[in-house]
Amino acid sequence: MKLHLKIWRQPGRDHPGHFVTYELDGLNPDMSFLEMLDVLNDRLTREGKEPVAFEHDCREGICGSCAMAINGEPHGPNEGATSCQVYLRSFRDGETLTIEPWRARAFPVLKDLVTDRSAFDRIMQAGGFITVNTGQAPDANAIPIGKEVAEQAFDAAHCIGCGACVAACRNGSAMLFVAAKVSHLGLLPQGQPERKERVLRMVEAMDAAGFGNCSNQYACEAVCPKEISADWIARMNRDYAGAVVKKL
Amino acid sequence: MAGNSESSCFLRTSVGRKWVVALSGLFLIGFVVVHMAGNLQMFSPTADAINRYAHLLKASAPLLWAFRLALLTATAAHIWAALSLARENRAAKPLNYAVAGRKSRLHVTLASVTMVISGTVILAFVVFHLLHFTAQVVDRSYATMETMVDGKTVHDVHRMVVSGFSRPLISGFYLLAMGLLFFHLRHGAASLCQTLGIRDRKLAKAIDAGSWILAVVLFLGFSSIPLAVLLGVWKT
Repeated sequence: MKLHLKIWRQPGRDHPGHFVTYELDGLNPDMSFLEMLDVLNDRLTREGKEPVAFEHDCREGICGSCAMAINGEPHGPNEGATSCQVYLRSFRDGETLTIEPWRARAFPVLKDLVTDRSAFDRIMQAGGFITVNTGQAPDANAIPIGKEVAEQAFDAAHCIGCGACVAACRNGSAMLFVAAKVSHLGLLPQGQPERKERVLRMVEAMDAAGFGNCSNQYACEAVCPKEISADWIARMNRDYAGAVVKKL
Repeated sequence: MAGNSESSCFLRTSVGRKWVVALSGLFLIGFVVVHMAGNLQMFSPTADAINRYAHLLKASAPLLWAFRLALLTATAAHIWAALSLARENRAAKPLNYAVAGRKSRLHVTLASVTMVISGTVILAFVVFHLLHFTAQVVDRSYATMETMVDGKTVHDVHRMVVSGFSRPLISGFYLLAMGLLFFHLRHGAASLCQTLGIRDRKLAKAIDAGSWILAVVLFLGFSSIPLAVLLGVWKT
């Protein structure tokens, strides 16, 4: 199959970017989206041109590296899938695909499709942990956790921190990511001692990183490759108010 | 972990200001619901019902002014917090995608992307509405309209409303504002539940349906009065 690719090329962080159009022919519809980019980069390298920079690691939909918007949708057209899990059969033969980096002030473009997502790391450093003594691994089931709570916490823990929620949001808001991380630890007994401080600190770090604010449209939930529910944002809002009231 | 008291100040954080928008919005929704219920007394068989009610509302000046002050505070807080959040939202997304993506997938609804516009027009309407029926500066003759209820001389609100809405331009602006209030609440009422933390998988459908019903009921309730005037239900 044949595809026209309109790809955002930007040599560096403080350089202006622009679209460059490439044409690829003889593609196998069962190729993954990233394999198609590999084919393109192979050709560009052999032509002595700069290959398209894009992030990738596991290529099996669990690491969250492959951040790119395909036709204006983070991770492309498929529900509950990362870019690496998108296959060319999802597109029409001869279609033009526009490929862009995440668009958000808090995720500046480093090169081509690669953005700096360290703002998420700063949020995690602010409160995305529990304080325990190091040493031997604790005994399994030393702390009993009900099945329902364990499953809820696991739903929130599915977040792979890819940043698609921020990328899809009209406001560049990170509230789905922060809500998932706050709730994942806040639901478990191990997360209780720092629960109040955690939500305050993580929201503070989120605001400091220059993310926008949720205006309740839930595009984040729609594009999330791990289908994290926007209901976690409601829980974070509740937790946050509880923490503020407790502090008074 | 020790919180930094200055920067974690409730009113400065994103979530804190969202709470301000939601709580003030809830108070204002409560007000418009009661206001609409009061207005519907226009349809009572006699004009006495609404005139008696209007007189009752002004029975205690301190209470009236305390309530007006509360409304003014809620409105100011709602606007301040919403605009400061909206300003940050624009700054957080300096460049959008060249291709917009599917609106249906990204949940782009007309109501949700026009909150600042609908809110601004509603604010302009509220100012006019207060000048029109409360301060009565648009038409000075309203102040002289009086009637007898229960042996007392009271302001003839019924006559003022019929007279006010018999001007198509004023009724038109009123209907436009109520249409925008419908859009504003369509998104706003469901949103405030999310901000106040009352939304989960089971409640989501009920909240969305409830905010739609609330918006429709308020639109129909408020619009029925100018429409009835324009259709000549009451004689001037």
